[in-house]
Amino acid sequence: MKRFKSLFVAVVAASLVGSNPAAAQPQPIKIGFIAELTGPWTFFGNACVQGLKMATDEINAAGGVLNRPLEFVISDSQTNPAQALAAARNLDVNEKVVAISGPTSSDVALALYGYAEQQKLPFLVPAAAFPLLTKPGTRYTFRLEPDAVGWGYALAKFVEQRKPGAKIAVIYSDAALMRAIVAGLKYQAPLSKLNIVSEIMFPAGSSDATVQAAQVKAANADFVIVSGAGAFDNIITNQLLDLGVAPNQIIHPFGTATQVFGWGPRSVGSFYGSFFDLGLDTVTPAGKAFIARYHAAHGRPAGYGENFCYVTAHVFKEALAKAGGVDREKLRQALSQVKMKEPTSDVPIEFDKNGARKEYIYFLQMQSVDSKKDYRSKQVFYTEWDPEVIPVYQLVK
Amino acid sequence: MSDATILVLVSMLITGVLLGLVFALVAAGVSIMYGCIWLPNASNGQVFVLAGLLAWSLTNSLGWSVLAASLAVLAAGGVMAWMLEFTLIRRLYEAPNRNIDYFVMTLGLTQIISGVFSVTYARYNDQYELPKTIEGVTFLGPMPITNTRLFVIAVAALAIAALFAGLRYHQMGRALRAVFQNRDAAALRGVDVKSVYRFAFILGTVVTMLGGLLYAMAYSFDLTLAWTMSVTAFAIMIVGGPGSIFGALVVGLVFGLTQAGVSVVASPTMATFAYLGAMLLILLIKPSGVFNR
Repeated sequence: MKRFKSLFVAVVAASLVGSNPAAAQPQPIKIGFIAELTGPWTFFGNACVQGLKMATDEINAAGGVLNRPLEFVISDSQTNPAQALAAARNLDVNEKVVAISGPTSSDVALALYGYAEQQKLPFLVPAAAFPLLTKPGTRYTFRLEPDAVGWGYALAKFVEQRKPGAKIAVIYSDAALMRAIVAGLKYQAPLSKLNIVSEIMFPAGSSDATVQAAQVKAANADFVIVSGAGAFDNIITNQLLDLGVAPNQIIHPFGTATQVFGWGPRSVGSFYGSFFDLGLDTVTPAGKAFIARYHAAHGRPAGYGENFCYVTAHVFKEALAKAGGVDREKLRQALSQVKMKEPTSDVPIEFDKNGARKEYIYFLQMQSVDSKKDYRSKQVFYTEWDPEVIPVYQLVK
Repeated sequence: MSDATILVLVSMLITGVLLGLVFALVAAGVSIMYGCIWLPNASNGQVFVLAGLLAWSLTNSLGWSVLAASLAVLAAGGVMAWMLEFTLIRRLYEAPNRNIDYFVMTLGLTQIISGVFSVTYARYNDQYELPKTIEGVTFLGPMPITNTRLFVIAVAALAIAALFAGLRYHQMGRALRAVFQNRDAAALRGVDVKSVYRFAFILGTVVTMLGGLLYAMAYSFDLTLAWTMSVTAFAIMIVGGPGSIFGALVVGLVFGLTQAGVSVVASPTMATFAYLGAMLLILLIKPSGVFNR
């Protein structure tokens, strides 16, 4: 019996020793990441996840957060608000994530906003620009991308700097993002002493702008602000160029790397807004390394969408370290107190009382587009502003 | 008349004709299938976009010329249609209410094709554009028109003329028209109805793909185009009269010109409602379609 007892003790001890490596392996800190992996926003969702994964790998290779690996549990929203909500519930209840993040579509983000605020679940929006995601009273939602009404404000400031008293034409698609930009532009234009001589809005699904391009040409504007949804952006741009509008008269309120390729060599000389771009003066060595690695992996440079998701992982790292654990309330508190810089561009990250970030935008001028893989651009303008410099939440309901 | 006014008027005309002809081609493809087989092809929008995407791959990835890519895509479209006919479409030729069965079947195809787009093209890009088919511009008064667009207008017009002639003078075209009018009577006169069905399905698919290719030559496009084009093609077919190529042409042009005209005098948003409003009005007056056979 005594021998049996000794054997039993030895077996238990051995099993404990054997299981030690597993016990030593720290549990990951889980964050739900609800992205548009399918559906109309597939491209943005996938690009975002690619940026996120690069940052996560870097963070975990450097030891993770609080001596634990950081894990983003990725879920597909199908670009569908209802599906996104179901995914959030699953991540919250079953996966017990400490926070959620992920959407790049404002519609999807708005669905998650309600859930996060109600369930007191910290929610960091990487890139969705509809203003109401940070409306007054917001507590658990934080957003990295500046809101679109503010882009319109900054656009007016940019035009004012290029040509005081300029005449501008605006041609855009009837989508929430574009309406918000134009609302900000129209509010700020008279304050910046700009004259809007033509404003044309296209319904969703439009496929031709030849006639409107001719109207804009006839209006003889100094600058044409172009903001079409999806491929319609290229259609408007090309039709303006066909009619003899000079590239340096065309301003796109925002431009990702794929948009720049889409505008192509004909658009060299035109301007576009961005929050991160290979042509910025402020790209840090880490930012350059990110662009290069992204290019090597995906055959094109990273743009601001990929960067916002890359930065998202770093913001969580910072906030979790500050919170000292995975308590949701402490994480919310830590997010609200974040004071850091984007590792890729040194732009400060700081949230106001509603979770809106101290806002900023760059305007760049296209210098060359050599193929579908490389382009060059030059920073020509930078501005930053308080999120409520104009009545953002009144201009867009 | 000032140059600015001429610019707007000419641009309106060119846009109306170009869009109208492309609409007419796609509606003709849908109309041939529906008029002959009683197959309301809900996947026509996806097939339209598929043609543009395949041409985009061949030109951008393999460096093919737009014309070579277009010919290859049309040939591939014919083979794809033949395979679909062989595996799916022919199974329902004798079904009593096959129009409903076909509609559900093609809705399924729509889902499958859009799912395939989601996990392939949509991951790597969000907008697609073919290289220029023909370089340069031609001036019509003060209005510069790209030669590619003039080429698109010419090819679309020729294709519709060829469809007319083929249906009127070619033996298979005449058989197809006979089946349009009365399937049983055509069978009694020795027409191989099932062969005609197969031909109609392949022809309808290829014509729809030609519309997609011409559109892609003239414009950038994205995946949302499929739904817009699907609704437009059905609207034109219904108003023009199922089975009528002439109806598709006339109504396609009316839709294209209405859209261009209303977008100038009112707004582009009004233009969308205007042509759908015109459709409802025509259907109230003639529910069977203007050129119903």
